[in-house]
Amino acid sequence: MARLQIDKISKSFGRNEVLKGLSVDIPDGGFVSLLGPSGCGKSTLMRLVAGLEQASGGRILIDDEDITGLAPEHRHVALMFQSYALFPHMSVAENIRFPLAMRGKGSADEQRSRVEEALDMVQLGQFAKRLPKQLSGGQQQRVALARAIVARPRVLLLDEPLSNLDARLREDMQIELIELHKRLKLTTVFVTHDQDEALSLSDSIILMRNGVIEQSGTPEDLYDRPVNSFVADFMGGSNVVPARVSGGRLTALDGAIDIPAGDMPETTTAVAIRQEHLRPVSADAAPDGAILFGADRQTRVFLGSRARYRYQTGGQVLHALVPGEHIAAADMADCLSVDPAKLRPLRD
Amino acid sequence: MVRGVPPTARILTAFLITATAIFMLVPLAVVMLSSISASEFLVFPPRGFSLRWYGEIMASDAYLKAGWTSIKLALVVTVLAIGIGTPTAIALYRFRLPGGEALGALFLSPLVLPTLIFGIGLLVLFSSWGSGPSFTGLVIGHLVISLPYVIRTVGAVLADADPALEEAARTMGANVWQRYRYVVLPQCAAGMAAGGFFAFNISFDDAVVALFMRAPDVETLPLRIYSQLEFSPDPSVAAVSTIMILLTIFLVFLIDRLFGLKRIA
Repeated sequence: MARLQIDKISKSFGRNEVLKGLSVDIPDGGFVSLLGPSGCGKSTLMRLVAGLEQASGGRILIDDEDITGLAPEHRHVALMFQSYALFPHMSVAENIRFPLAMRGKGSADEQRSRVEEALDMVQLGQFAKRLPKQLSGGQQQRVALARAIVARPRVLLLDEPLSNLDARLREDMQIELIELHKRLKLTTVFVTHDQDEALSLSDSIILMRNGVIEQSGTPEDLYDRPVNSFVADFMGGSNVVPARVSGGRLTALDGAIDIPAGDMPETTTAVAIRQEHLRPVSADAAPDGAILFGADRQTRVFLGSRARYRYQTGGQVLHALVPGEHIAAADMADCLSVDPAKLRPLRD
Repeated sequence: MVRGVPPTARILTAFLITATAIFMLVPLAVVMLSSISASEFLVFPPRGFSLRWYGEIMASDAYLKAGWTSIKLALVVTVLAIGIGTPTAIALYRFRLPGGEALGALFLSPLVLPTLIFGIGLLVLFSSWGSGPSFTGLVIGHLVISLPYVIRTVGAVLADADPALEEAARTMGANVWQRYRYVVLPQCAAGMAAGGFFAFNISFDDAVVALFMRAPDVETLPLRIYSQLEFSPDPSVAAVSTIMILLTIFLVFLIDRLFGLKRIA
């Protein structure tokens, strides 16, 4: 349990600069997602925190102690690998006991009871004597998790821990991770490329691209208030439409959108329109004050409680998410409408 | 049978498998059957049944001495080959050594270079040092030809193992000695056993290096068999060979029991 500060950290492999001086401050007990497409540097950042890579510049601090040059075995930072990295020649209990044994924590009896406690926490009590290869992928994942938390590390790092599980198991594990975090209050960094996972799990998200932070904040910040088109696009759920602000007006979609710019800055290069804010309507049924323009409907995907429509207008693809009760009306519609207040300006 | 395989290919495959089995197993069977012959000479098929040649061996100082020399030699070579080959494999497969590939090729070269020439060279070298053939010379010779096997088998196990395991152990507080003791070496164990088995067999079976390194007081079992064949080919040769075959089978069985051959082969 500790505060983790990353101060202007940079990392190069040869001439390839993977991390470009980024800073992060995670409070004690925080649960933060490092999110980004593959190659954005999120895994490298995590390995730097674990000590498995050496920083090219900048500092890493845990509770104000500079650990930048400290060997991984002395950091007390646990890392759960994507491959789980369970020791194949050790039983489940021996695997989980390993961090306690290496750090000489407590007597043999104390270690045994802590192993049992960790096994119970991940509901694997009856598998203590099995070898890892005798367990399913989901069970192996729990063993790796138990091993990571058993010694109560100062920081817990999880490297795409759920990516090898099927969808169902993944949702269960997400809930278990949240509950485990509530219980142990370990400062946790969760690396993922899945924005839904980041949104549902963490109390804050750091979205990275090409070794820099594009935006960090609460899940709501990133989802509702993306600062640029990359964030809006990556977080999903929005249409990102190229736009420009000049002479006090915002124009987009070849003039189909042409409204007063208000306080939108001149640096605006696009607007984000949430899919649920875009409404398929008939030309005569548009609400007062709404932007209305014609569009070609291409496909409709039924999602149970909702349907997603795919429209095209002037070479731009637009998606509209329509709640169940409006599907019948939407099927007849040949125009799209949106409340101008819902447009969110984006910079590059 | 796999469908879609043309009948000619099937016949050819069946023929090759049968031929391989015949030429591998029948000579062994011939030797084993000859060893229980009552005849004075090494002949096949055996005439009569007798275990007298086993008794002759047990009473023969020359056989017992050679057998003891061979076992001692093979054990020393096995221990040294594992002891040297394992760290070599770890260095070759785990560290990025400058010129690592060239080193790897050098260590494996005894697999392809003619043992005969190596034996001659070894003899000349030892003679030039004034020591001539000796037990130590034999150990060195056998070590050189058996090391590649240990390096290969341990290397194969390491290549299969997840390198993240060592990093994981590090983040759990294991220092460098603990990582080798608890993570790397246990993973190598199966490869070490297989490599050791090869080393033992190569040393126990070798007649080429031993031929050059032979001294009046250092005669290995294969050379004893060879001289016996040359001067009085009686079924004692077959009896000794049978014991060697049984010893090998026993070792294979032991290794399978301890480590599982599937994990190694």
